[in-house]
Amino acid sequence: MASKTSQAERMINLLALLVQRSQPLTLRQIRNELGAQYPSGNVAARAAFERDKKELREMGIPIEMVTLGGDSAGEGAYKVDRRSFELSDLGLTDAELKALQLAAATVRIGANHGEAALWKLGGERALNKPLTSVNIELDDEMMPVLAAGIVERRILHFVYNGENRSVHPYGLLSRGGFWYIIGFDDLRNDRRVFRVDRIEGVITKDEPKSFKRPADFDLSKAVPTEQELLRDGDGVSKTAIVLVDASLAPRVRAEFGQVSVAKERADGSIEFEIPCANMAAFRVWLFAMVERAEVLSPPEIRSQVRAWLQDMAARNDQS
Amino acid sequence: MILGRRRGPRGAAERVSGLLVMLPWLMERKRVKLADMAKQFKLSEAELIDDLMMAAVCGVPPYSPDALIDVFIDEGEVIAEVPLLFSRPLQMTTAEVFALTSMGIAAQQLPGATAKGNLATALVKLRRLLPSAQDVVSVDIAQVPLVGDFLHAVETGEQILITYFSPVRADRSERTITPRQVFEDGGHWYVAADDQLSGERRVFRIDRVEKLQNLGTFVTPATGEQGGEIGDDAEWFNDSMQQVTLLVAPRARWVVESYPYISRTKNSDGSAQITMAVSSEHWLGRLLLRAGKDVRVVEPVEMRDLGARTAAAVLKRYV
Repeated sequence: MASKTSQAERMINLLALLVQRSQPLTLRQIRNELGAQYPSGNVAARAAFERDKKELREMGIPIEMVTLGGDSAGEGAYKVDRRSFELSDLGLTDAELKALQLAAATVRIGANHGEAALWKLGGERALNKPLTSVNIELDDEMMPVLAAGIVERRILHFVYNGENRSVHPYGLLSRGGFWYIIGFDDLRNDRRVFRVDRIEGVITKDEPKSFKRPADFDLSKAVPTEQELLRDGDGVSKTAIVLVDASLAPRVRAEFGQVSVAKERADGSIEFEIPCANMAAFRVWLFAMVERAEVLSPPEIRSQVRAWLQDMAARNDQS
Repeated sequence: MILGRRRGPRGAAERVSGLLVMLPWLMERKRVKLADMAKQFKLSEAELIDDLMMAAVCGVPPYSPDALIDVFIDEGEVIAEVPLLFSRPLQMTTAEVFALTSMGIAAQQLPGATAKGNLATALVKLRRLLPSAQDVVSVDIAQVPLVGDFLHAVETGEQILITYFSPVRADRSERTITPRQVFEDGGHWYVAADDQLSGERRVFRIDRVEKLQNLGTFVTPATGEQGGEIGDDAEWFNDSMQQVTLLVAPRARWVVESYPYISRTKNSDGSAQITMAVSSEHWLGRLLLRAGKDVRVVEPVEMRDLGARTAAAVLKRYV
């Protein structure tokens, strides 16, 4: 071997050696095997070896150290079991791998992690811009710590709304262009939902298995949809009849379904029965249609809407 | 896994981790064109040659030809026919399993996916890599009517007639379009299409398409690499558009989060002052009505009463 070996080359040779040998090797034995690849001085060689070992471990290669007995008592030796870092065969069929490739070509989640997964499965990333695409982007730097939190059950620590939070992450949900962490918040002593893009600064994580996820936790129901938000409140009435002009009625029907149609009028306008228990959410929904929608009943909701409008019409923001 | 990052010279760890992914991938294929492989792994051909040449001199003692990694380049092809080392891929990291699973879950919700198809069975196998039997990630893709029709039109090159509602202008238009790409972003579905009316590539939000009629005329279908000028609703920063400055109370944070702004200043009381471009007075009036007293126009002065004027117009329905 050349005496001037790059660190990358030396790391590959070190890994190859440790994988090939069934017995643990001491640093002295490793240096003998690798020839002049490590510096000649003991201190420099140890430093270089420690750096190689650390970087290989960070790649997911578990280099184990064992303490020898007998003539070498107390000396550290190193080994790597290839089964501990090699991917086991998932038994994917060619068609299944192609389906995953197609999914990865269509759905964008970040620059690297999904593609790396595909390569490891023997697949390929799509090189052309797809004709269909879905964007559920999650910050590439943040993804490992979030995934470790939920998969390995590590408590996560971060700043949210200016407060330090310690969260037991039960799951991650992507909806409406945002990612959410759903979990138990130590600060509030209750279950909370956190929007990932609102997390300030760096997320740190505890050790694996630092919390238990409740058996009855249902991720799909953890974050309310817009329609559920309309239903979730203490309003005086649970539903309102809203007349929507013909121009917008098809869109409301598509949003709330045929079951929400109370009456179809001859001019194409439709009376819908819409949840309104959460009046703040109801206002945002109703006024998106401006003058093309009108609450017909019940009287108390109609009065409330009229009061909102009167209050706003009387507003003087000129100063 | 850090392949594909383009930040200055590559370090030893980046080169080694890349090779540990590339070598098993290559050994499964035996022969790959150099240019294709470089593109696949986001490397220049020179970088790939450097990495492969380095791998070719690595192996195990005594570093004789039969103890080295058997990879070489011949007439523009990368060849690795005799696996000696690193023939199995590394285990996937938690982030990689998470990313690919999320992509698969999202793709499962697209038109054409089936509950028992190849993607579904691939996801079952992939989930075995997660330690928990519980779902830890969920992706909700908006289910919008007509997405499947547009996808079909993209594939076939069929021209279609749409009735499109634009809340920006509060009107609707009929347009003959040739769909070229369908995509989901920020929780909404869009179609990029050649628009006969304007003669340009335009982007339409699919939930604002009220009617769709297949015309039975066909052009050459798109083949990928199609771009798309963002048009219509997305022209937020057009110079000709009116700029307004709004004072947004903390309770109306959804305004800041939902719409692009040009600048934002946070105030000590939690409110924010944002400057945004608006495409019509109607659109801004709608926003002010929905937000109520939580949003106020600061500039221009002549728009400070827009909320009051909009409310007065809607109030006519309630007298």
